[in-house]
Amino acid sequence: MTRTFPVLRKNALLLPERRRFLKGAGSLAAGGLLNPLAAHAATPILSLPPVKEEDALVAFGHTGPITDGGWDTAHDMGVQAVRKAFPRLRTVYVESVPYSADATRIFRQFVAEGANMVLGTSNYGDFIKDVADRAPEVAFLECDGTSVTRNLGWYYVTHWYPSYVIGIAAGLMTKTNRLGYVGTFPIPSVFASANATLLGAQSVNPACTMQAVSTNSWFDPQAATQAATALADSGCDFLCGITDEPAYLRVAESRGLKAAMWNLDMRRFGPNAYVSSVMLDFAPFYIEQVRARLNGTWKAAGNFLTMAHGVDRDIWGQTVPENVRTQADAMRDRILAGYSPFQGPIRDNNGAIRIPAGTTMNDMAIYQWDWGVQGMTGLG
Amino acid sequence: MSRFQRFPTAPARRILVCRAIAILVSVIVVSLLLAMSGRNVGELAHLVLTSTIGSRFGLEDLALFMTPLLLTGGAVTVTRRMGLWNIGGEGQFYLGAAGAAGVGLFIHGPAILILPLMALAAMLCGMIWILLPALARAFADVNEIITTLLLNFVAGLLVYWLATGPWRDRVTGALASTERLPVSIPDLWGVVHWGFPLALLIVGGLAAIMSSTRWGYEVRISGASAGMARYAGMPVRVRIISAMLLSGALAALAGMFEVAGTVHRLQGGMADNFGYLGIVVAVLARGSCLAVIPAAFLMALILDVGIVLQTQQVAATVVLAITGLVLLLVAIADECAHYRVVTPATGRTVRKAS
Repeated sequence: MTRTFPVLRKNALLLPERRRFLKGAGSLAAGGLLNPLAAHAATPILSLPPVKEEDALVAFGHTGPITDGGWDTAHDMGVQAVRKAFPRLRTVYVESVPYSADATRIFRQFVAEGANMVLGTSNYGDFIKDVADRAPEVAFLECDGTSVTRNLGWYYVTHWYPSYVIGIAAGLMTKTNRLGYVGTFPIPSVFASANATLLGAQSVNPACTMQAVSTNSWFDPQAATQAATALADSGCDFLCGITDEPAYLRVAESRGLKAAMWNLDMRRFGPNAYVSSVMLDFAPFYIEQVRARLNGTWKAAGNFLTMAHGVDRDIWGQTVPENVRTQADAMRDRILAGYSPFQGPIRDNNGAIRIPAGTTMNDMAIYQWDWGVQGMTGLG
Repeated sequence: MSRFQRFPTAPARRILVCRAIAILVSVIVVSLLLAMSGRNVGELAHLVLTSTIGSRFGLEDLALFMTPLLLTGGAVTVTRRMGLWNIGGEGQFYLGAAGAAGVGLFIHGPAILILPLMALAAMLCGMIWILLPALARAFADVNEIITTLLLNFVAGLLVYWLATGPWRDRVTGALASTERLPVSIPDLWGVVHWGFPLALLIVGGLAAIMSSTRWGYEVRISGASAGMARYAGMPVRVRIISAMLLSGALAALAGMFEVAGTVHRLQGGMADNFGYLGIVVAVLARGSCLAVIPAAFLMALILDVGIVLQTQQVAATVVLAITGLVLLLVAIADECAHYRVVTPATGRTVRKAS
């Protein structure tokens, strides 16, 4: 299930409070697209004409190799699900699309080859928007994007909720009270992930702090290994992060530490260190979006994939004690019931109150988080 | 008995013939490999041709690829004439982009004034970046290959720092970058901006400077034999520094064109290896400034074909291997062109006569 923000309401913090779709809410096809918010979005949105499945081409640009065992593998599983659901549809993909003018070239080439729908599995910003603006007949979707135009929308997972749940486990399991975070770039999705984990840990263990390192890459196993080693050397005994691959789990395993991952189940790379993972599942969303494009009902929008509908914590690792599981899962249940743990007062890492008491950060506010919470070093 | 003998020089026509054979061989090898992996080579070839040189869309992309390659290739060629290697094109590219972005972000005014100012700032930054290696080379004989190369990493990280730190635009998603620059180089033809004809003009001008000015003559002589140039009273040190500064300015200008023409934001990784590819272009051009144009075209074509192949599900690593194969075979062809069959019959007759 996804929540859809229509074009005219794109403007971040003016959005209505988070809404949750609870159990039994509709089929996939009825998903985000038919929800009432999108329905009365005013008009500059123009739906693209329907395409026959056998005539259609859907193209995916992946940010890393689909064999990375993480982010891109997760997206590729979504692509495979699309292939299964639409066996006559043609799909193509390109791996390791760089964040440079080459991305524009690759997306342009997709358009030139007749793609009806182009998905970028990362935020390519202007590189995808420039192509979308010149190809009004093609539907574009960008993961982790920010712009919505008449033929370009975005989608993202609300990974901060499972991160908070895993953070509770981290707070209970750390002995040094120092968490290490292998970050990529100092950007909102990284702030959201690191902050959520730290806030979760502090909710059960207020002494927790987090040391973050930015590697300037989403896929650089060597840099991630070095960063994780440095964090371990500085006394962190619980590693988490947001890299596309499992390198820091191996470090945690060999150093006898604990690690929480993201993207997929990665326990085979470090069965003793593995605590859990922020699990991603793009398949239902991709199927829903492609179906809408084929039916001619696709509309550009911003979409959040919510907890238990595209993102969740993984089954706990074998070394996670029972009481930790119970305590963390209690929060998971509350979140699933509509609770948000992102409530004020939340202080930044200079000690200033940024979210006053009585205020809840909604998903759009979290999606644009650009400061580190109290106890965070190395980020913000 | 006749045998192969290496000659120190090779005529241009021979090199061209050998290279044509090399490219043909690489096309055959790649086609065979693709056919063996079960792909329809005919269809693929048709698509590759129409998507590169066979359509306006393809030609636009080629011109966009060529623009920075012309300048970074020209930058390396200038130092080649001096007998030096500027491996630091990537770093100077980054510095140029940073300098240009700094002007674009913080000085506001009409584009007609801001764009030249951005170009000037970029070239100045590029020259500053190569100044230290140039001085070290001219006065302390420090190998410029190492110094220019290592400064690339410093420059790359500097741009990451600017884009993720003080100049960061706080709304971008997966990669930190600055805000979009308010000015951009106007488009000339589709997505091709005016940087393309300018780059062609600059390379043409460079060829003229090299072949018909006193400065160019002195650079060429100093490159051929520094000792002789010194004996002839030429200021070799000054020529080393000036050639390297010019080289840095050219690579930096490529960075300005890229940031103001195609990317519009300063961000880490934006150099896309154009600095290093400039070295390949210069090697292909064999030190001739005019030959930088066809060399940049060939490189752009290879890169563009790579993108088409990627959208046809050929992995990026395979594309890289194909690029490597083409360049390897061209390098072998260049060497082969130096060899000719010699029949040492004349030698024997001379000995008999004496």
